[in-house]
Parts: sequence; structure tokens; C-alpha cells
Amino acid sequence: MAELQTSGIFAPGVIEDIQAKAESGLYSIRGFGTLRERRWATFDDLTFLPCSLTRIPLEGYREKCSTKTVLGTRFAKKPIELDIPIMITGMSWGALSFNAKVALAKGAASAGSSNTTGDGGMLRAERDNSRTLIYEVLPSRYGINIHHMREADAIELTIGQGAKPGTGGLLLGSKVSDRIAEQRDLPIGVDQRSPARHPDFLGPDDMIIKVEELREATDWQVPIFIKMGASRVYDDVKLAAKAGADVIVVDGMEGGTGASPAIFQEHTGIPTLAAVCEARLALEDIGLYGEVQLIIAGGIRDGVDAAKAMALGADACYIGTASLIALNCNKPIYEDDYRAIGAAPHACHHCHTGRCPVGITTQDPELMNRLDIDQGAERVRNLLRAMTLEIQMLARSCGKSNIHHLEPEDLAALTLEASAVCGIPLAGTRKVFGK
Amino acid sequence: MAEIDAAGRSAREVNAAIRKLIAESSTDITVLNPAARHNLAVAILHGVHIRIAGSAGYYCGGLGDGASIEIEGSAGWGLAESMLSGTVVVHGNAGSGAAAALRNGSVIVYGDAAARLGVSMKGGEVIVAGNCGYMAGFMAQKGTLIVCGDAGDAFADSMYATVCYVGGKIASLGTDAVLSALDPAEIERLEASLSAHLPPAVRRSKPAAADFKKVIAGRKLWNFDKREWRTWQEAL
Repeated sequence: MAELQTSGIFAPGVIEDIQAKAESGLYSIRGFGTLRERRWATFDDLTFLPCSLTRIPLEGYREKCSTKTVLGTRFAKKPIELDIPIMITGMSWGALSFNAKVALAKGAASAGSSNTTGDGGMLRAERDNSRTLIYEVLPSRYGINIHHMREADAIELTIGQGAKPGTGGLLLGSKVSDRIAEQRDLPIGVDQRSPARHPDFLGPDDMIIKVEELREATDWQVPIFIKMGASRVYDDVKLAAKAGADVIVVDGMEGGTGASPAIFQEHTGIPTLAAVCEARLALEDIGLYGEVQLIIAGGIRDGVDAAKAMALGADACYIGTASLIALNCNKPIYEDDYRAIGAAPHACHHCHTGRCPVGITTQDPELMNRLDIDQGAERVRNLLRAMTLEIQMLARSCGKSNIHHLEPEDLAALTLEASAVCGIPLAGTRKVFGK
Repeated sequence: MAEIDAAGRSAREVNAAIRKLIAESSTDITVLNPAARHNLAVAILHGVHIRIAGSAGYYCGGLGDGASIEIEGSAGWGLAESMLSGTVVVHGNAGSGAAAALRNGSVIVYGDAAARLGVSMKGGEVIVAGNCGYMAGFMAQKGTLIVCGDAGDAFADSMYATVCYVGGKIASLGTDAVLSALDPAEIERLEASLSAHLPPAVRRSKPAAADFKKVIAGRKLWNFDKREWRTWQEAL
């Protein structure tokens, strides 16, 4: 019998999606981030060009290669100094469990890096276990507290995030427990939809005044970051720099989320590779490249992605999903519990349900206890260290004694698209395509 | 009483002068010639009284905790935003987003307030003696919002547990905003609050507490329900 053929247009997943909407009357909501097969230019479409005769490498396992990372040198009296360029991005207590937040803080601190609060305010245990804590000021302002801001090492004014630029956060009622409701001043169990716009400014001109307010509130001591989802990056980065940002964070479309409409994760924003290139160009065009630091986020998996982002212009990278994977996200343990929520190890994007089998994206005490804080912190530290070693190895092979000396000339493009996006020659040619 | 002349000085210099006086134990500070500067008296964390002898720009009294701030003129956007405790009184009008994300304390405006009054407020009490613009109370979470005059369009849209009272007309209710009856104890509390915070002459010119309309969330947006599809479709 001939093999039955499914439709390329109405593929099985499309049929399931239509029938789910027909049942619920609601768009699909889930967590994790884009699940699409990536057909756009990514960091995988670049390769490093290590030294041979034209340049001299450093000894790969021996010679010093600095990883020190300083952010916020433009206006802040106290720029933050990190031992490594990989930082933990903002993820809320609410989206994540208490144990996950504290494990990330401890892991980052022990690796000499930073962590960030998220859309739910600061946890005391988070501050107490952080070395460098970045306090996010988001449109929702959940849990906003001036005393917590003044304890922070940097303030991040968040305009949007890569997984869902142009819209606010979501936290479904199953995760709005009594403690989370109290922290956010919300009724218990509501499907919390955060605002997309800040309540007290709208456009980039008002934001200049907002940035000044944040500086006044923190005595001009700590750096002010402005974070945005990657959409019109070239123009948005210029506006953020004009508003007085010390550091600009650009979060590409591969960025993760605890919950959002699936269509945002799949069909909004531009890829992280494109975002870093636009951001660098914007800063160069206004003469602020190097003076305003650039952090790139969105689907950074390893030291290779990070090293390529840095070669293209980033001063540092945020990781989110990768750090959760270090905490056991999608690990093949408690497999019955994956199945109970319609997921499986390596194919779980059910953060929105609050039934995380490994205790990361849940508020259920029993599930949360599956994540041991100290063991989790150790794995996060190990991941950060391993990623840093990967960056150093690549940098040394390119002859750099400092990872921040990586540059576009250290890369070649493997596809026409990557050449055009990054403005670097296609391997095998001396051409930059699209120029 | 200590005085700071803001003429020719930046907000940063004025705020530094305020903090210096507080460190020197001043409890009553007047800022002269404020000239609607932005970010005056931001993040004041002490129980002092600060009088702004004129108008203030954006974010006056923002991110504060414990101070009593009196603005003798009008105030710009984001008045007392994210305040934790304390009192901010404006003799004139307030710009958009007054009391945005307010967590506690009192924000009192003797004149009118512009758009998005009390947006995302998380507690505390907001009283406007005059009228307010559109989308007052948008996504407000807790606390009390009182408008003695008329309220603009989309009033109390998408709220959680904030309770609103309006003495005049409401141009239109926002999505999921519903009228509710006031009980006698509530009328008494409302009257006590208005009498405590408004000058007697202003209070006398406003409606009696029993004549205020009460607006709360209909709770149809709290959790998605396909039977409420039209409400969700129109939700801002």
C-alpha cells in the first residue's frame, strides 16, 4: 500500500493548532521560545578564522586570555566588573520557582558573573546570594521598591523582550500562588497579563527623563541598562543611546519566555545574529561604539555563540534558557510527570502550566523541592565557566589575549545570507554579499 | 525651615541640596523657583516635608518612601510614581500617569488630572478634586481611586482589585469595569477620606459622598473564558 501523505500546508501541527483554537476560542500560549526550524542566518552560519601564517595564535591551554568584563563606563560612577562576559538574564520569581532564582544567583555569583531580577521584583534571598545583581524596571512595575533598587548594582529599564517584543508578560493563574500574588499585589489565581507600555512614559523623549529619574534615585552610582526586544534595532539602539543608556541590551527573536502567545515567539522580532549586527552599526554611526556597551541575548547556547556575538560587537551576552537547562530543564528524569502535561524530555515547553517536572518553572512546593539549590548553583557555575573556556579557546586561536579583542575579521560567512547580514566575506570568496 | 533656591541649578543639584539638608536633620524644606524642573524630590526616603513653591515637571516625588511633598503649582507626568509611602499634594493640576504604579501612601490633586491617572496602581489612595482624563485606573491592582469631578473615557479598564469612586459623570466605562452600590460604611469612609485630604472649601464644592458612583472590576478578564470572547476581543 502506498504511504499516506500529509499536507505540507495543513501539516499535522497546523491541524492540531486549528482544532485547539476551535475548542478553546483562544490563541495558543506556551513557554520556552521559538520552536521553528531556523532557516534564517544564525551564528551557525559563521566560522572562526584562527591564526595560521597571517596571524600568530596564543597557546590554547596556557597563555593568559583576559575575560574581565566592565559594563557601564559611560556615566555611572560604579561600572560593574565581572570576571566573565556571560550573564544571567532577567527571569521573574513567578515564572521561576524560588529555588531556581536562588540557584541562578548563587551560580552566577560563584562564577563571578551577574544575575537579574525579572518581572516580579526582587527576592531577598536573590540579593543575598548575588555578587552583582541587576534590578529590572519593567512596564508592570510588580514589586517595585526603591530600597531594592538602591541595593542593586545596575538598573535595567526594560522596554521589551526578544520572545515577544511589543507585548507584555503573561503568568497564568496556576502560577499566581498566594506568595506570588502578594509580591505582585494581584488577586490569587488570576491569569496575569502584564502591560506592554510603561505607565509613566511613552516614547523615547520621555524616556530621557525617566533615565534621569532612575539615576537620581540611585545617586548616579550604578549603570542604567536599556533592554529591548529586537525589532527595529538600528533605530531603537540609537534612541536608547540618546536617552542616556550606559548599556544597551538587545534580545533577539530566539529569546525564551515563561509564557506568551505562541505566535509572538514564532513570528515577531528579528534573529539574534541580525540584531547584534544592526546594534553595532547603530552605535558606530552615532560614534558611541565602545562608549555604550552592548549586551546580546536570545538563544545563546554555548561559548561559540557568545564568542561570535562578541566578535560581531557585543561586550557581553545574557543567557536564560541555557541556564535553565543547566538546572535540569528538559532532562530525562521524572518522565511520567513530563507525560502528564503532554510533554517529554527534550520536547518540553510547558513552563506556562506551572507543572514543571524538574522544579524550575513552578510554584508548587513539592515540584520545586526537586531542584536542590546548591546542586543547581554548581551546575550553573560550571556552565558559565565552561562557556567562558570555550570563548577563551577560540580567542586564543585567533591570537587574542583578551576575549574582547575578537573582531569581525576573525569570522567568515558560510552562507550568502550570513555574509549579507554580518557584512563579512563569504568563505571561499573575498566578497561581502549585498554590498 | 530650610530653603533651596533652584534658580540656575539642575535637578541633580537641587536633589543633592535636599539630601544634604535631610542629612543635617532638616525636616521642613522649601524649594523656590522650581520652574517645572523634572525629577524634583525623587526617591526621598525620610519623613520630611518638602514644599515645591511653584510647578514641578515629570516624576516629582517619584520612588519615594515616607516624605510629605506639597507642590504649590502643577505637576508633570508620573507624579509620585511607584511611591511606597508618604503623601504628595498638588495644588494645581497633574499630568498623565499621576500615581502610576503607586504602592502605598496618598496622592492628592486639588485640580484636574490628565490621562492614565492611577495606572497600574498597587495600593494607596488617590484623590482628584477635579476631573480626570481617559483610561484612569487602567490595569489598577489595589488601593482606592477617587475622582470628585468627571472621569474621561475607558475609565477603570482591565482592573484587578482597585476600587474607584467618581463624583461626576463618567464619559465611558472601560472594558470589564462595572458600577457597584456603596454601602453605608463605605460612604462614611469615603467622606472621612475626602474631608481629611481636601481643604474644607474644596470639599464643600464637591458632591456628597453618598452621591459618588463606585466602579470595580467585573472580573471577566481575570481568567480567560471563551464565553466572554467579546470582552477579551475588546480588551485594551
